Amino acid sequence: MAKVKIATVWLESCSGCHMSLLDVDLFIVELAKLVEFRRSPITDIKDFDDVVVGIVEGSVGNEEEKEVVEQLRHHSQIIMALGDCACFGGVCAMRNTLDKADVLKRAYIDTPSTYKGKIPRSPGVPELLDKVYPVNQIIKVDCYVPGCPPEPEAIKYGLTELLAGRIPVVPSNMMRFD
Amino acid sequence: MSEITLTINGQQCKGKQGDTILDVCQANGIDVPTLCHYKGLVDIAACRMCLVEVEKERKPVPSCTYPARDGLVVTTNSEKIEKYRRMILELLFTERNHLCAYCVASGDCELQKLAYKYQMDNTRYEYSWPDKTTDTSHPYIVLDHNRCILCARCIRVCDEITGAHALDFSKRGWKTNVSADINQPLGESSCISCGACFQVCPTGAIFSKASAYKGRTSECTTVFSSCPICGVGCDIKGLVKDNHVVKIESPDLTKPRGLLCQMGRFETLYTPAERVRTPMKRNSKGQLTACTYEEAFEDIAKNLGSNGSVAGLASGKASSESLKAFAELMDKGFGSKMVDTLDGDDFRTVTMGMTKFDAKAGFATEAKLEDILTADSIVVIGANPIKTHPVIGSYILRAAAKNKANLVVVDPLRNPFTFRTSVWVRPAEGKKALAIKAIIRAIMEQGKTAKAPANFAEIDIKKAAKDLEVDSHDLFQAGEILAGSKNGIIIYGEGVLQYKDADMVALILNLAALINTQPRVISLKRYGNSRGAWDLGISNAKSSVIDELAKGKVKGVYLLLADDLAESQSLADSLKRVEFVVAQASYLSPVTAKASVVLPSLLWTESKGSYTTLDGIQKSTVPMVKPGNDIKPDVDTLKEVARHLKKIRA
Repeated sequence: MAKVKIATVWLESCSGCHMSLLDVDLFIVELAKLVEFRRSPITDIKDFDDVVVGIVEGSVGNEEEKEVVEQLRHHSQIIMALGDCACFGGVCAMRNTLDKADVLKRAYIDTPSTYKGKIPRSPGVPELLDKVYPVNQIIKVDCYVPGCPPEPEAIKYGLTELLAGRIPVVPSNMMRFD
Repeated sequence: MSEITLTINGQQCKGKQGDTILDVCQANGIDVPTLCHYKGLVDIAACRMCLVEVEKERKPVPSCTYPARDGLVVTTNSEKIEKYRRMILELLFTERNHLCAYCVASGDCELQKLAYKYQMDNTRYEYSWPDKTTDTSHPYIVLDHNRCILCARCIRVCDEITGAHALDFSKRGWKTNVSADINQPLGESSCISCGACFQVCPTGAIFSKASAYKGRTSECTTVFSSCPICGVGCDIKGLVKDNHVVKIESPDLTKPRGLLCQMGRFETLYTPAERVRTPMKRNSKGQLTACTYEEAFEDIAKNLGSNGSVAGLASGKASSESLKAFAELMDKGFGSKMVDTLDGDDFRTVTMGMTKFDAKAGFATEAKLEDILTADSIVVIGANPIKTHPVIGSYILRAAAKNKANLVVVDPLRNPFTFRTSVWVRPAEGKKALAIKAIIRAIMEQGKTAKAPANFAEIDIKKAAKDLEVDSHDLFQAGEILAGSKNGIIIYGEGVLQYKDADMVALILNLAALINTQPRVISLKRYGNSRGAWDLGISNAKSSVIDELAKGKVKGVYLLLADDLAESQSLADSLKRVEFVVAQASYLSPVTAKASVVLPSLLWTESKGSYTTLDGIQKSTVPMVKPGNDIKPDVDTLKEVARHLKKIRA
């Protein structure tokens, strides 16, 4: 049986969810037999090709992330949001109660350790969106595994269900928002 | 009450007339999720989590406010209802900034638990991201509007249980906020810091600064104890992690003595002064330095063992066991008759007043605290219970708000009950006795003279009012209120006791006897175990031992301070002329600074002890944390001193 192709993207987040993905103990060996990781921070492949499952870690907070997640949607049959940032906005969404201009000023000019700071503006630096969005506000998401980071149990459950051809809904006892 | 039968989820369920559907569900073990419902508070159906379907009702109804009727057919778990509940959760999560990853309540949060239960792994709605503030102005409590779900539990508990009604909603609709007073910062509001709001808050919207991020409830062990601080004797539940008290809660807020106040709930979590960690004695340079227990005991035995006049002073903060051991040490060890408590004068004033009123009266004239809750009139004379005994303050506020009890305050300085008061008689300083006499006379003029004191006929209220610098109308009104009262109670405190005037206490009892045939009075005692010490006869000295010390006739004194902060400079000053002072205390204070030997003492959170509440009920503490440094329990220390005294004499 051909291996199931999976792509993962790491948007606005701490990479903790990818760490947790690798932290599923022996299941990782089993998983490696069944799936092939394509574009992913794990494989360091940068280009998209068509995959069955696209896994998103992180929320969408700038133009680049928006583009990446839209491309992932285009190339994936099923999108799984992994972790609190992807599902709800998470820690990154802390800036949503503040004004974007204030956030940039605080980060690049006002911080006590900054000397003669200026807000970077160049074509190479993606523009911040007005708010940080959970993934389902940008693209259609098919399933969710919340947690900060998600429990290895929940990740295992989500992937096993997907490989069995079902859309997973994480059971209550594996749910975690922190 | 007649029984009714409902069909809930196809099952026959019995309930009582007057129950809500939720009551019947809970009584029959049917799980209905709730958020704004809190046992003992009036239900307001704010959160809509408890929606159920009722046959013939057009739409789902909140079960917490829907009256159960005989024959109702209810469905609590249909697919439609479960879908609505999940929707409500999503709406709650998107309404404000609920982000569990950095919320103080995560793990203990009822909103989060329900989201787990309903497998809320995303929200279909756009987040609102309202710009809400966090109010940190209060010394102990933080009010974080970002996490608020507007369930109004805090508002209801503040009104119905605490009686303060400091919290309420401000603004309307989208802008609704929980606010203190007229949108004041919580720290500057009329909040009495009882912390009940923090206990009932289902999310992280109200939390305690001292407990935040110290451990979740699931990580803590629970110790049931009682609080010995002020003499009310509230039941408490201590949550302990890593030998630290993380949180102090009430096992049941709605029960009598279940409210707690800032002293028990918050101050206990802080260290108010530097602890005495080891025994200490004076070295050759006269400085207090750490020593072993043995050295300290020998020093005490050597200096006080053959000293003729040794006095003993105990704080009413010590447990009854410690006080008993202390009395025995003073009697058998030192053979001293000069034994007193720090509030011995209060005891003598109160008991002498009782005797003057009626030789056989005694403490039978004192009422139970619960009587406040059912009283129809309350007279507060020279006391500020909201500050000294906050739970009693709450009881008074509650009686005034709920039972419409008439509140008469006689105090020249302050009226802590503000708008709840019916009459505030504000006599000129030092003229409380005349004010009480005038009120007695005013009651007699209303024709209630059954137990009136004989010699009151000559008092002219108008003349008295002029003398007191009050409006005579106030006195007449007080008289009218109290004459019409069937179930009155009088509370007095330091404002009366400070004058050491037994006649005034007798007058208060006369007033009480005029209101009810059986007088009902509560005297606010200064320490948590004052009543225990008084009952043990430790304050039986004829006159104040503190005064004796100041006269310089006493050579040595043994002070049992326990966890008393002993901040009083006058006590420290009275020790100036005493040659050898032993202080057994938990904290360093101006008093320990004067001591020749200091012995460490445990805190109430570290030891087991009995206490008598100010209305004579026995309560006991259970140790919540282990003391460091091998500090001996007070009783052991006292017994060791006695043993060393015996040894040196043998």
